[in-house]
Amino acid sequence: MFAVGYTLIFSILRIINFAHAAIFTLGAYFTYALTGSAFGYNGLLKNSALPIHLPFLLAAVVGAMLAGLVAIVIERLAFRPLRNRGADPLLSLVSSLGVAVVIVNVIQYLVGAENYSYPAQPYGNLPTAINFGLGSQRIPVRTVQIVIFGVSVVIMLLLTYWLNRTKTGKALRAIAEDATTASLLGINTDQLILLTFFLSGMVGGLSGALIGSSVSIAGPYFGISFGLRGLAVIVLGGLGDIPGAIVGGVVLGLAEAFVPVQYIAYKDAVAFAVLFLMLLLRPQGLLGRAELQKV
Amino acid sequence: MRTVQPLLDIQKLFVNYDGIQALEDVTLAVYPGEIVTLIGANGAGKSTTLRSISRLIKPHSGEMLYGGRSLSHLRAHEVVRLGIAQVPEGRRVLTRQSVFDNLLLGAYTRNDTHAIAEDIDRHFTTFPRLAERRNQLAGTLSGGEQQMLAIARALMSRPKLLLLDEPSLGLAPIMVQEIFTIIQRLHASGVTILLVEQNATLALKYADRGYVLEAGRITMSGPASSLLTDERVKQAYLG
Repeated sequence: MFAVGYTLIFSILRIINFAHAAIFTLGAYFTYALTGSAFGYNGLLKNSALPIHLPFLLAAVVGAMLAGLVAIVIERLAFRPLRNRGADPLLSLVSSLGVAVVIVNVIQYLVGAENYSYPAQPYGNLPTAINFGLGSQRIPVRTVQIVIFGVSVVIMLLLTYWLNRTKTGKALRAIAEDATTASLLGINTDQLILLTFFLSGMVGGLSGALIGSSVSIAGPYFGISFGLRGLAVIVLGGLGDIPGAIVGGVVLGLAEAFVPVQYIAYKDAVAFAVLFLMLLLRPQGLLGRAELQKV
Repeated sequence: MRTVQPLLDIQKLFVNYDGIQALEDVTLAVYPGEIVTLIGANGAGKSTTLRSISRLIKPHSGEMLYGGRSLSHLRAHEVVRLGIAQVPEGRRVLTRQSVFDNLLLGAYTRNDTHAIAEDIDRHFTTFPRLAERRNQLAGTLSGGEQQMLAIARALMSRPKLLLLDEPSLGLAPIMVQEIFTIIQRLHASGVTILLVEQNATLALKYADRGYVLEAGRITMSGPASSLLTDERVKQAYLG
């Protein structure tokens, strides 16, 4: 799910937005704050809390929107100036990495580096796990994970429909292919790119909140560790392919699940071994076709 | 002298491209209903002129008026809304989208769904080869078909002024002839055209007036028929 936001920006702009990982973290923190929970002992905001207490799901949605707004600001400050100058995509990558570091440090400055957990039972009275096994063979799956998976699939379907069937989506794909031509057709490229960043930020922020509710918000670097794995996932899915990103996520999740318990510390290594193999064997991604090369 | 206002009026246009003077003191006018052609060698600044009009590049100085209105502060997508469409050099169809969607995006600035559908049907009647391939990806079309698509796509915005950049480039002679027939038909239907061409003979045959660009400057201008017989033009461009 995290990877969907990544993929959205990559598919349109051919830019890896490292700041996406920080936006993911921000989404988690925004949601935490909006539930009215208090921050910890360190940082500027110690022991303070917002006077509002939104239920978790509402907080997650509002938090996601705030994350989307942050993404818009990032696009204006870190990407658009470079794009207007026709700068090397590598510079955008470095620029986004810089933004990520800044955001992470601001979070640390404000609320410290502790772990935060959402209030108990964010999903109300749903059982914490659902049994998918038969009879005595119990296969419990945590409800949170089902929610995350369900939301991912819904978002993927919506985005795919939007990109392929609507006028705005087609215009966005036109920008992805050739921004100059798109503007010659009367498409306001800057505006639609802004929209892309907003959506990507929202998806990123929402996944931060949901994944935060699954484990806990593990400090300001929460998103960065996911960021690297997210990168593996989008390569797995074929860069810029949204359904591919979901499939990639599932495959990577399964690959990590097969790591024996005693080697659990090497989970990340598995992610990158998969990434490495993928680049060697199928650089176009799991679902991808080889790019059409026209002479 | 003419009493009609020019549809497009370019005065003293200077353009710098990466520190090089690409256009120097270019002044030209296009009157309603005309085909005006801009001829000249590779790199003389023909495309630069069209790209300036479409606001893809920002001129250093000079004024561009369209129907009396300045284009100087507009952005590329706003120019299209005023009624100026460009068929860029090299066609630039959206190769990863269908023929139909390419046409649909040509009408991006319009909201009259019904009339858009009618226009698409009309273009399919004019270009039966596009109709046969309506669901194919535009990247799978031949060069001539792509050129037709690029022209039809530009027409989808219902422009008053059509900028054509090298429409014959890289096409087989029979295709070139077909494209020029299309241009003539558009002209007859009342679209004003500014045509950039390397194939000067052909361009001057179809145009009302012509301008000759040399190293960023306009060195000659006049009725197309007299440029066609001008000794200097003959020597330099008509071979």
